[in-house]
Amino acid sequence: MKIWQNKFNLISLAILIMVLLLPSVGVAALQKNAPAFEGGQPQTSINNDAECLTCHSNQAMSVKFGIQEQKETYSLFVNPDIYNTTVHKEVGLGCVGCHVGFKAEMGHGFNFNSVREATLKLSEACGRCHGDLNDAVMDGVHAKQLATGNVQAAVCSDCHSPHSITRIKDQQTGATNPATHYLISTTCQKCHSEIFAKYSQSVHGSASVADHNPDAPTCTDCHGVHNMEDPRSAEFRLRSPQICAKCHTDLNKMAKYGLSINVMNTYVSDFHGTTITIFEKVSPDAESNKPVCYDCHGIHDIAKSDDPSKGLQIKENLLKTCQKCHPDATANFPDSWTSHYIPDTEKYPTVYYINLFYQFLIPGVLGGMGLLVLLDFGRAMLDRLHKPKRKPTAHPKLSTKPTKTEEEQDGDGN
Amino acid sequence: MTIDNNVSDIIESQKTYKRFGIGQRLEHYILMLSSTVLLLTGLPQKYRDFSWSQILLSTPERLEFIRLIHHISAIALTLLAVYHFGKAIIKLFQKKLSGDMLITWQDVLDAFGMMKFLLFIKKEKPKFGKFNFEQKVTYWVVAIGFVLMILSGFIIWFPVGFTQWFPGGAVPAAKLMHSSEAIAAAFFILIWHIYHVHIERLNLSIFTGKLTEKEMKEYHKKEYDRVEHSVKPKSGAK
Repeated sequence: MKIWQNKFNLISLAILIMVLLLPSVGVAALQKNAPAFEGGQPQTSINNDAECLTCHSNQAMSVKFGIQEQKETYSLFVNPDIYNTTVHKEVGLGCVGCHVGFKAEMGHGFNFNSVREATLKLSEACGRCHGDLNDAVMDGVHAKQLATGNVQAAVCSDCHSPHSITRIKDQQTGATNPATHYLISTTCQKCHSEIFAKYSQSVHGSASVADHNPDAPTCTDCHGVHNMEDPRSAEFRLRSPQICAKCHTDLNKMAKYGLSINVMNTYVSDFHGTTITIFEKVSPDAESNKPVCYDCHGIHDIAKSDDPSKGLQIKENLLKTCQKCHPDATANFPDSWTSHYIPDTEKYPTVYYINLFYQFLIPGVLGGMGLLVLLDFGRAMLDRLHKPKRKPTAHPKLSTKPTKTEEEQDGDGN
Repeated sequence: MTIDNNVSDIIESQKTYKRFGIGQRLEHYILMLSSTVLLLTGLPQKYRDFSWSQILLSTPERLEFIRLIHHISAIALTLLAVYHFGKAIIKLFQKKLSGDMLITWQDVLDAFGMMKFLLFIKKEKPKFGKFNFEQKVTYWVVAIGFVLMILSGFIIWFPVGFTQWFPGGAVPAAKLMHSSEAIAAAFFILIWHIYHVHIERLNLSIFTGKLTEKEMKEYHKKEYDRVEHSVKPKSGAK
């Protein structure tokens, strides 16, 4: 192996890539779903994976990229035991299905300057079959980062290990397999390790990472997959309460944990949520300093509401949270927020009784006044109809006097 | 035809009776304008689920602008209230407050009398003094309602300042009261007040400051008699 690596750079490169062979049968089978390969079928004389694996099942097989001193070693080993269980193997997509442009020659026709370049280039092949996902990725924050020149931004194979890729979704239901749901965050962790560290300690993260509870959200449940948007954008901020509401208004899910599903409607009906909701509907890219869920509850470090150090059920914690935006707030201030409770005789009784009062007063005003006005108007009209002979001057206004008064006034007037 | 008669009535009525001073008429202008603006800028904030409201409030700038107008009108209304009640209190101490607006037992009787008239039990409307019970009810409902609106409005405008001294639970209560009382008051004014001063009869005395002799005799007979120092006026009515 030393020989390969040290002395025959070009040769090694070529041979390593020999791994990638595709049975032409498999390619044909895929073609009904996939766009046609550019330039026709992969140009290969090797037509099955076994031939690739004769070389690439060698654990020591690797290649060095880069010029002179900056050499990176890249393993070209493919574990056949794992590879044979992959979904791509299952559907008959062989090595050359992804390693497009393969040539049966030394280096297989590939020429990269770095491991990263190889990854970026080879990942372009995914879109040939997964066109819809590829389009989604192009809208995502990772692709946008990549477009700005950040080559570290994740591409397909960074998350979906190419030689060990298994089914993520249940074929019947189309839903993410609950048994492997918790693994998603470990994928993101590869790059976002600091956030993962926070997340794994949070109420959501500990349930998912430690307890493998598929109810607990993992990264993609909030951020989406493939076309995840920049969470620092104004759009994301305004839309974010809807993300939390997906689970937190789901009665079945919340009942399991004794959580209220009124968190969203109580938020929306108060100052903060009202404003955010209007902006979200009408100008979704508006910058607003009004708080969304995560401004108070935290993002990746979200804690249980009775957590002694962070939970918002604890008065001091809530006050500190309020003071982030209302720096002069004092101990009474947090009570001006009804804490997602719908006021009743126990919680916020004043609000409850005022509401009750107006529920009677408003229809009372409307009905009572309306009735009196109608009676008055009706009496005036009736009087008018029943006294057609009276000279008009006695009826200066629509709804004035009954007979006697009119007589008096006629007398007065004369 | 009716209009012609009205005109001739007015032309015929030479004598007028002073009802409102210039200050009171100005007060009414300010009250009318500020409360209309407050209602118009408040409704979109209350009914945020409606598309017309969302169009008005669609951007942070527009929302801030509408709230600014609301707050400016609120200050105008507050100054008006301070002036109005301040003047009343000063007059009270000087023992010059007329008491015309106080609700008396007679008003209750008048209200029953009016109900009987409307239900055809009595043939005559009760005779009223300077302000009849309907006008007194209007005054007090508006006065109490607007005091509530002003107090609750300032609580939700300055919640941090308010809770330095008072319990926080008053803030959501004030918010609810502000938006509910507004609707109650708006209904009241639109139905009760607009009916009585525009439809029942066109009563412009709050703008002109005076009533004609005919109006006095028709609607404020007792006051007319009092002013004329005679229970039975010279014109010879019973």
